[in-house]
Amino acid sequence: MIHTVSYSFSELTLDRNYLSAMLGFPDGVLPEPFDQYVAEAIQEAESLCEIRGAFCFPEKSEFIAKNSCISVDGIEFGIGKTVAKELRNSTSVALFICTAGEGISRRSRELLAGKNPVLGYILDTLGSMIVETATDQLQKEIMRIALSQGFSITNRYSPGYCKWSVGDQHKLFSFFPPNCCGISLTDSALMHPIKSVSGMIGLGKEVKFREYTCDLCSQVECFHKNYMKRSGIQSAV
Amino acid sequence: MNELLVKLSECIEFGKINMASPYPPQMKGQEGADEITRRALEEGVPPQDILTNGLMPGMERIGVKFRENKVFVPQVLMSAKAMSTAMLHLKPHFLSGAAKQKGTFIIGTVLGDLHDIGKNLVGMMVEGNGYKVIDLGTDVGSEKFIEAVKQNPEAVVGLSALLTTTMVSMEKITKEIKDALPGTLVTIGGAPVNNDFCTKIGADNYSPDPQGVVEYLNSKIA
Ligand code: B12
Repeated sequence: MIHTVSYSFSELTLDRNYLSAMLGFPDGVLPEPFDQYVAEAIQEAESLCEIRGAFCFPEKSEFIAKNSCISVDGIEFGIGKTVAKELRNSTSVALFICTAGEGISRRSRELLAGKNPVLGYILDTLGSMIVETATDQLQKEIMRIALSQGFSITNRYSPGYCKWSVGDQHKLFSFFPPNCCGISLTDSALMHPIKSVSGMIGLGKEVKFREYTCDLCSQVECFHKNYMKRSGIQSAV
Repeated sequence: MNELLVKLSECIEFGKINMASPYPPQMKGQEGADEITRRALEEGVPPQDILTNGLMPGMERIGVKFRENKVFVPQVLMSAKAMSTAMLHLKPHFLSGAAKQKGTFIIGTVLGDLHDIGKNLVGMMVEGNGYKVIDLGTDVGSEKFIEAVKQNPEAVVGLSALLTTTMVSMEKITKEIKDALPGTLVTIGGAPVNNDFCTKIGADNYSPDPQGVVEYLNSKIA
């Protein structure tokens, strides 16, 4: 069974400080006139977004190949050692996809190539944040269902991160009907609309959700890592 | 050096587009790249000087600050906008031959990939540093790159990719360009790309940021 969700822009709680960090300004203080541009972008985004998501709970999953692969309803995901370790105690998984829609990227592209590149860039960044925030909501929905059955959930993990091949998106998408939520996948495993994410969440009685996962990632320069550090969230487990 | 050109370079560095633009706050109410370029041309400053001694030093300074994390993409875009506004006044002089760009850079995001913000940023910075930039867009295959090089034989090609899956395409395109037109220089970039990959696929250069590719071009062409 496929569960679908849709959110209006106003249902999402956007963290403006995080947006500033994504734009590059680390202290959450946006110099003039970028603060006005952000306000303008937020206003525009309201009518541009079509935020939708879907998730499912496949029936059977088991770890194989020295625990760096997981077989979900007979389909093998090469999630790699790092993600496998995080999902280790899961007894089942949820798969999800989520998008902010094409509108925001279309508008952003138009502005970037024309009159207002800065606003275009801010809209693009806002689009990334919208889809991430919507996925937070979707994850809460998955957690609610899991809890009602006595399970906890892990964090979410996406193909393309931590040595999990982005090509595995083809396998992940095979669990959803074609063009589900308006998201399609190219041969090169790129989702369309661009502002989309996909991933897997572990479920089980013994799994833990953790606040800080940056220690799993080898990226050196990353606004997210820096932001977490500044916010004081950095203790692993 | 001409006082106007010093001012112009500051307009580019700080992203002051025109008089009406409120950015940057410390230059509110002052003339911007638009007015100063026009005035310089009226006063008879050679277009080549405007490009080489006014616009380019400003763009170079912002590129270096970006690399050093002292400014971020929004500020770079302000500078690029100031630059392109000034360039509108210079375009006729490029066409007449009164001013020359340093060389040609052909850029595109490789087949299978639709990411374009990073590529666009690179294009803007390269243009701002005195090159003619031909942007082929996204999802571009070998034929299109090869065709563009045939029309601009001295051009350097820049390839952008943001996914590991489309890096494969980068390898194929590099090889096909080199097979069809030996001697063509190919430089690559994008989040998952690195130096080892560059060597492996036989590309000529990898740069993590736009300033890097400007320096590469300057070393090869200018
Ligand atoms: C924001 C972001 C997102 C956003 C928006 C994506 C978008 N493109 O709009 C969202 C949340 C939607 C997203 C989703 C995904 N993402 Co993402 N994302 C990023 C992130 C954090 C920043 C990308 C960005 O906009 N950067 C800003 C621009 C300006 O930078 P840039 O494009 O890199 O360009 C700069 C340089 O690379 C360079 N450059 C670029 N091109 C060229 C060319 C030349 C010639 C030169 C010299 C230089 C150069 O200069 C530019 C300016 O400095 C990167 C990680 C990172 N730090 O880069 C991951 C990243 C791109 N994402 C990644 C992945 C895996 C995904 C997903 C597949 C995850 C998933 N399963 O859901 C999806 C795919 C989305 C899709 N449509 O298919 C991977 C891709 C690598 C891979 N494994 O294939 C990255 C690299 C993260 C990682 N693993 O390290 N993502």
